[in-house]
Parts: sequence; structure tokens; C-alpha cells
Amino acid sequence: MRITEHPILGEANKGRLVTFDWDGKILEGYEGEPIAAALKVAGVMVHRHTKKGNSARGIFCAIGRCTDCVMVVDGKPNVRTCVTPLVEGMKVQTQYGVSERKLD
Amino acid sequence: MKRYDVIVVGSGPAGLSAAIEAAEKGLKVVVFDENSKPGGQLFKQIHKFFGSKEHRAKMRGFKIGEELLREAEKASVEVVLNAIVVGLFLDKEITVNINEEIVHYKGDAIIIATGASENMVAFDGWTLPGVIGAGAAQTMMNLHSVKPGNKVLMLGSGNVGVVVSYQLLQSGCQVAAIVDAASKIGGYGVHAAKVARCGVPFYLSHTIIKAEGDEYVTGVTIGEVDSRFQVIPGTEKYFDVDTICVAVGLSPMSQLLKMAGCDMEENPKKGGFVPLCDEYGETSISGIFAAGDVSGIEEASSAMIEGRISGAAAAYKLGFIDKEELEIKIEKLEKALSSLRQGMFGPGNKGKDIFRTEEGYDISINLLKKGYLTDEEVMKYPGVKFIKGIHPVIECSQNIPCNPCQDVCPQKCIKIGEKITSLPVVDEDSTCIGCGLCVASCSGQSIFLVNEDYEEEYTSVTLPYEFLPLPEKGTRGIALDRSGHRICETEVVEVKSPSAFDHTNLLTIKVPKEMGMKARFFKQQGVGI
Repeated sequence: MRITEHPILGEANKGRLVTFDWDGKILEGYEGEPIAAALKVAGVMVHRHTKKGNSARGIFCAIGRCTDCVMVVDGKPNVRTCVTPLVEGMKVQTQYGVSERKLD
Repeated sequence: MKRYDVIVVGSGPAGLSAAIEAAEKGLKVVVFDENSKPGGQLFKQIHKFFGSKEHRAKMRGFKIGEELLREAEKASVEVVLNAIVVGLFLDKEITVNINEEIVHYKGDAIIIATGASENMVAFDGWTLPGVIGAGAAQTMMNLHSVKPGNKVLMLGSGNVGVVVSYQLLQSGCQVAAIVDAASKIGGYGVHAAKVARCGVPFYLSHTIIKAEGDEYVTGVTIGEVDSRFQVIPGTEKYFDVDTICVAVGLSPMSQLLKMAGCDMEENPKKGGFVPLCDEYGETSISGIFAAGDVSGIEEASSAMIEGRISGAAAAYKLGFIDKEELEIKIEKLEKALSSLRQGMFGPGNKGKDIFRTEEGYDISINLLKKGYLTDEEVMKYPGVKFIKGIHPVIECSQNIPCNPCQDVCPQKCIKIGEKITSLPVVDEDSTCIGCGLCVASCSGQSIFLVNEDYEEEYTSVTLPYEFLPLPEKGTRGIALDRSGHRICETEVVEVKSPSAFDHTNLLTIKVPKEMGMKARFFKQQGVGI
């Protein structure tokens, strides 16, 4: 899913590849890119499940406005993954309602 | 509480331009933006802009953004990022959330340039992961170098829909279709033609019935709608896609202005709830201005001019320039703004059916329905002539504000005249030297060089090409016509990509004589595009 060379923008220069934890799995991403970008590359589509209908949500606006892509990051819920930079060793969890605990 | 002469909210094209204008006049200016980077949406705009020289036409949006940032720095504009303006009050005081703390600022003038947010339509399954805004697609591919999906269906045929579809193709995604409930393509015909010739089909008078998938998008079903926008049973079509991109318009983000108590109106022509402003962009509250999309949806070029106008007006209001200087400045800016607002897509023509150009040529119905001109239709426009030897063929058939082709031609082969919305005319008495500057400068990629006398049995066609891998001389492939259909085998005989063309490469292909006025795109064997 990464665009390594673009006809207008040239080669992507993304810096350092780091690892992070997603729901117990180790994934890779570039330091400083939005968490959501790294998840997209890893094929993760579902970021959270709603409290009311337990229905899946993912990236929607990608600019921090809609809050559809929020997840539990390093224990903190409601983190907008599309505008939060990836840090090495981050713990990213699917959010159910407002926590990482699955809904009944 | 910190004080400034001018506080600008939003560092997009309008906000930065307002800040630069005011700071250049000696005012102490600060710009707040909620994002971590300045520039608003400009840095996602990788296509060449329309307009004329004064509007920075034929420059790509992100390059304009870089230029604005340099100007802002030179003018000592202070830009505060990750700063969310949460309150705007009558006495021109604002509250800003910076690092989870609320900070108060006061300005003698306030310029609101908060832009717009994307509209959405709720169809069955619209909340599934994989349904994204067109802006999200641009952000992911053009800022973060990540494809938003592999196979994408675009809902919305306005300029955003067609431009983002083209950018998706440039990023290596497949675009399955562009769908719009309207009966006509909303964006510029030249933008639509760029994607149509790559083989992307348009489905007008169609809408999404359902996004398929349990946890995320696995496909989409569309259907044709009647005149009351109801789906006609039996017209359902299924597409195997992983992403649905929604580009159904923008709404002004005018909440701060309403909060301050500015007189507002609901104006569909301006895209929604907007402040009432005078010619300087000043709202009903003296000293509070609005510039750019927040005061009415247009595009970045006019937003930059509106920003300049409000910046100059603020400078006058605070006594930094006199009335005469203001009037000279405003007259020039108003003229530039008005030239951008002309033509069939201008704000005054929003929602109108236009069947003829200003010159009296018929508007192609095929272009409005399918995104391309037919072989017969193309012949009647003034940019298309049969001339001996190499010559430009300009397939520009709608009055849009744009004239770089006229400016760049060293031989004066192309004539638009004073009014920048006029259709370009190819002058049969001038001699084209085949330099290709017009082809590369055309933001709509609607200019081709054709040489019917290339070889005895072959015509050469030079076309703009912005995809990878870049073919080389000798690369064999298939020539596609305006609709994206394969018409014949072909070979690249020349590739030109000087830096002056700014990544618009010029491919010259040779095709059998009878294909010279049909072949408009080059498809490489084994390459998606």
C-alpha cells in the first residue's frame, strides 16, 4: 500500500522504520507518520467498534475532524490515530465503546 | 492576554495570504491553526492550477503552498500550530486551546479563514471502514504516501471527485467508476476527460445503493436514479472495490463567526451557512473579516485573493495604509478575483444549465455525461484545426478561467484574448515549432501536438503523461482514444521531460494516419494505467 515513487512527488522519504504493538501483534511503521497510515499499510481496516451498535469504524476524514478512527493508544482512549504521530513501541488497541474491553 | 494587530484563524491559502498582506503593511500578525502543519489543503493539491499568471496558474498547489510559507516567513508572520481556536467573541477576543490549555488573545482585527468541511451522504453501509472522504484519500496518498485503497469507486463528479480520481490513478490505485446522482458531470470537462481517457467510466444519474461488507467494504452496488432521485429497480450494478471515496461537496466552517454574533445567512450558492460580508470580506461586526471557503465555497486561487483583500482592508482599518493605497490594491485584486469567477463554472452560473459557450459553440453533451468529446464533436472547437506539419490540437470546449497556453507559446499560435475564459483559438497563420510548452502548461491536459505529416503512413501525437513508469523511446504499447478504449498498437518515438514542464512528461507516439485525431493516451503493456 506504500507509494514508494510518485510521478509528481518523487520518492517518498519517510525516515526511520519502527515497530509498534497493535492488539498484541507487532507491526511496522515509519516514525512520525500518522498511526492510521501505518495501520492502513498493515491492512488494518477496523479501528474501533461503536458503543451503541457495536459496529466497525475506520479512517474516514483522515484530518482529525470526524473522530471515526479513534483508538486506545498507550492506554488512553479516543486518540485520533489519523493525526497522532507514530512513536516506536507504541501500544495501539482497537477501541470498543470508549475502552479496549470488548463489548458484551 | 497577548495582543496582536491582526489575528488570523486558519493557515490555508486564504489565511496565509491575509496574514502576508497585513504583515507586509507593517502589522503584527499571528496565525492559529489546529493542524500540525500549515497550508490547509494546499499541500495535497498536486495538480496544476487554473487561472492566469497573476493567479499562479500552471503551478501545482503544493508548490504554491511552499511559496506562501516562504512569503509568510519573510513578512515575519507568526504561525502557531496545534492551536485550536475554540472561541471568538464580540470584542475581538479569542480563546485558543494550546496543549490542552485555554489561552486568551486579543486582536484589533480578526480574519477568519477556517475553510470548509466535506459533505457526506448516508447510504446503506456508509459507516463501514473503507468508505472515506475524498479529502482523506488525498491526505493519505499525497501527504503520507499510502494508497487509500487498491480499487476505488468515486461518488461525486465535481472537480474534487474528478481531480482526486486522477490522483488515485497517479498513485497506482484503480478507479472502478465515478458515480454521480446528478445528470451531468459537475467538474471541468477537461478534468473529466483526463480520467475518461485512462478508461475510467462515468455513471451519471446513478447513486450508491449499498456499500457491501460486514466489517469493512468488500464491494459496492450502485443503481440508476429517476428525475426524483429514486433508484430505478433493475438498474443495479455491482463493483468489486475495497474503497468508496465520497466527494459530494463542501460546507463552510463558519461556527466561530456565528458564535461571535456576525449576521449569517443560509446561502446554497455559497455552499451553506455563511456570514454576510461587504466587498472587503468584513462581517457585520466591525473588524471581524471572513476570507476563503468559510465565506462561500470556491477554490484555492480565489481564496488567496480574498485573503489578500481582507488583509489589506484590515491594514487600512487600523491606520497602516491610507484610503488611496487601499483602493489601488483592492481594484487590482477585485479584477483578478472577478476574472476567476467568470465562465460557465463561475459562482453566478451555479446550478444553471448552459448549452452554449460564450462564443456560441455547442457544449458537448457527451462530455457532460461520459467525460469525453466524441470524434465528431471535437472537430468543431476553435482549438482544433487541420494544419500542415506539427500543430497544437486544443480540446478545450468549456469557458473556464485559464490562459497559460496563450502565454507560453513562443510562436503566438494560440489566442485566447483578454478574457481568460474564452476558448483558445489555434491561429492557422502562425508556425508551430513543436516545443510542447502548451502541452505541459495546460492544467487541464487538453492540448496535444499532432503531426499528420510525420511519416507517410503515420501521424505523430504528443500527449501529456504524468504516470510511472515513464516509457522510453521505443516502448511499445496501446493507444487509447478519448473514452479509454484501445484503438491500435503504437510506439513511443520521443519522450521529453525538462524541468520546465514540472513533471508533465511529453510522450510522442506514432499511430496510423486515421488514428491521429483519435489517439489520446498511451497504455503500456502490463501497467495498470
